[in-house]
Amino acid sequence: MQQLPLEGIRVLELTTGAAGPTCARVLCEFGAEVIRVETRLRGDGHRGEDPKKWNKKPDFVKLHRGKKSFTVNMKLDKGRELVKQLAKKCDVLVENYGLGVLERWGLDYPQLKELNPSCILVRVKGLGCTGPHAADLTWGPNVGNIMGGTYLWNYPGATTATAEPRTQHPDFMGGVTGAFAVVLALMQRKKIGQGQWIDNAQLEIGASLLGPRYLEYSVNGREPGPEGNRSLVAAPYGAYRCKGDDRWCAIAVYTQEEWEKFSRLLEHSGLDRNGQFTTHLERVRRREELDRWVEMWTSQRDAYEVMEKLQGIGVCAAVVQDVEDQFTRDAQYAARGFLVKLKEPEAGVVVTEGIPVRLSETPGRVRGAAPLMGEHTQEIARDLLGLSDAEIKTLEQEGVLT
Amino acid sequence: MKTNGTAPLSGYRVLDLAGPLAFHCVKLLADMGADVVKVEPPGGDPARHVPPFKDDMPHAEKSLYFLHYNTNKRGITLNLDAREGRSIFLQLARSAHVVVETFRPGHMDELGLGYGALSGTNPGLVMASLTPFGQTGPWRDYKATDIAGLALSNLMVMTGEPGEPPLQAPGEVAYGMASTYGAFGVAVALYHRENGGKGQHIDVSMHECGAHIAGYFIPQYGATGAKPSRASRKGEETDLYDPYPAKNGYVRIFIIPSEQWRRLVDWMGRPEAIAGPEFEKMEHRRQHPEPVLRTITEFCKRHTKEELYEEGQKRRISVTPINTAREFMESAHTKARHLFLEMEHPAVGKYLHYGPVPRFSETPGRVTRTAPLIGEHNEEIYCGELGFSKKDLITLGAAGVI
Repeated sequence: MQQLPLEGIRVLELTTGAAGPTCARVLCEFGAEVIRVETRLRGDGHRGEDPKKWNKKPDFVKLHRGKKSFTVNMKLDKGRELVKQLAKKCDVLVENYGLGVLERWGLDYPQLKELNPSCILVRVKGLGCTGPHAADLTWGPNVGNIMGGTYLWNYPGATTATAEPRTQHPDFMGGVTGAFAVVLALMQRKKIGQGQWIDNAQLEIGASLLGPRYLEYSVNGREPGPEGNRSLVAAPYGAYRCKGDDRWCAIAVYTQEEWEKFSRLLEHSGLDRNGQFTTHLERVRRREELDRWVEMWTSQRDAYEVMEKLQGIGVCAAVVQDVEDQFTRDAQYAARGFLVKLKEPEAGVVVTEGIPVRLSETPGRVRGAAPLMGEHTQEIARDLLGLSDAEIKTLEQEGVLT
Repeated sequence: MKTNGTAPLSGYRVLDLAGPLAFHCVKLLADMGADVVKVEPPGGDPARHVPPFKDDMPHAEKSLYFLHYNTNKRGITLNLDAREGRSIFLQLARSAHVVVETFRPGHMDELGLGYGALSGTNPGLVMASLTPFGQTGPWRDYKATDIAGLALSNLMVMTGEPGEPPLQAPGEVAYGMASTYGAFGVAVALYHRENGGKGQHIDVSMHECGAHIAGYFIPQYGATGAKPSRASRKGEETDLYDPYPAKNGYVRIFIIPSEQWRRLVDWMGRPEAIAGPEFEKMEHRRQHPEPVLRTITEFCKRHTKEELYEEGQKRRISVTPINTAREFMESAHTKARHLFLEMEHPAVGKYLHYGPVPRFSETPGRVTRTAPLIGEHNEEIYCGELGFSKKDLITLGAAGVI
């Protein structure tokens, strides 16, 4: 098999949740060897609390496919010492525990630097490592609250708190950004002859996408509010009801040329617009009436038919897909082989998302199943830490390797 | 943070042909120190006409959207539709390390500026093509802006009120995720190059990146057939994602570990309705949402969201306020981390710029200049680097080349 670009890079992962695991997973897909430190004393959030299900969670597979699992009790001096020994042999340490945990374990940057000056530490934290709220307990979903994203994710003039769905995009974007930063730091290591640490705050990474909204306040002094699907530059714009139960197609018409093709298509199917909506300004100003006219056409048709017909004339249109559609009707995912089946020893077949960035010379690869709890503990203790079988057995009996 | 090095990407030249899909990608590269030269068509990038604007006055130099994404770059004008323009671009590409582009697949080849042509004279070149659907597959030529990426990702089908149109997210998160993966791909390709490899072409699909925003629905669907929608997510969120009304807004209380639940119950004074040990289990709370919602709501209404945030976090409970953009900008945490930097732009005046993240301890990113005016660096680049005379620029300008 072709060599992967990050082959030879060893990553130690001390994480929980999703952002830290995502950072390490992305590095793994491009060749890094990732050793995830965990413990049987307590299932990680995505393994769950029930030991019988530790190796059966599809969420866990998504986050940890291709990694190794090393189980150790970090409450014991001996456990922490073993992990410090591992850190000496790693190029990168990825962590996202609450502020203070890494410090307590003796692995925050000043201490890590003593152990291994060339190691790179990335701290994929909610609010970062400095500032009055650095120690806050947060998860991806409540990071969006702080930045204003949750408030803005709503219908215009809404009286509810938010329409934000059950998602955690700062987790995933924060994780991939952390991987980006690690690769840059690996390049820098050659130039400056040492590692460094990266304060990779999910909050600040996610909030960057709201930059224009912040400028609205700092430049114009106006507090931005929720805009829903409204656009000042496109009409029709938004999600349009199609045939069937809760079926919709997103449509966005930006230019006069697109509008002319679009309106001609609808008129050919027998919809008269009585000379209305001829100018961009009229379409934006009378968007509600325009939307009703468009829905007279879309609501009679299957969402995919709407998408295909409109794309056929060069208009941006996309089915509001649910996850079943992604499996069964998304011709593009199918053609590019995007959904990847993994055979897990205990969970059975798990389908996960493939790698959405394809490099022509050094492509990444989904490297295999997620590790069983502690699957690689003995292997790592023996091969990396140089422990004998007898020593490993003793450490197991003492509850250190567990 | 101290610094004893330069920014992570200093010394790398990026030619920026990106549209909005890759704006965040190039911003990351620019903020990390790359020398980014934005190549705009004569008359300027269409994104100069995207709102919001300074004082709401549409003007090519007053788009705050453009300003956020194009700080830290130099800007030149060049008409790639003109033969002379293409030949100038080829000259520029000879000394570049990275080209980022978002044209429809095949367009760069048609211009004679495809990866093969550009790498012919510069085999180390990294070209990142970020497109709605990637370079291959049946949908490759389809048009899709951010809303279409969200629609296909299954995020939109979960957003909003049941029966109402699905809602897009604020902040162009489908573009944001594609951009993040794009920047990661560029970093890996540069790393490979630094290790003696050659350049390469990177294919990023927004549609595939979108699947990585939405959470765990793809692996879960494979395992359970669960198909979340706006209707199904109602009622499954008790104390997980529900916003609770405070005196002056909302907070979100996001509880996974049972010890956080116990701390919350203690904080509320152990109200009888939910003090029983059975409520420590998330499943039980979801099956009995009424007393949970009612009790937490009554408690939160007696406090401001700031009080709930401060005291909740002090008690190690994951409480966060649902902030507006202004509240985020003005928060003590944001200020302590100097996230917003005071800058000045010739047409916009003083403004607060969103600073570079993530933060490197030894080789931090930097902000060196505000966004370029149209063609601001034509003389610097064309005369200073390519050897054209000032008179040549007059000729090229009149011919519509620059």
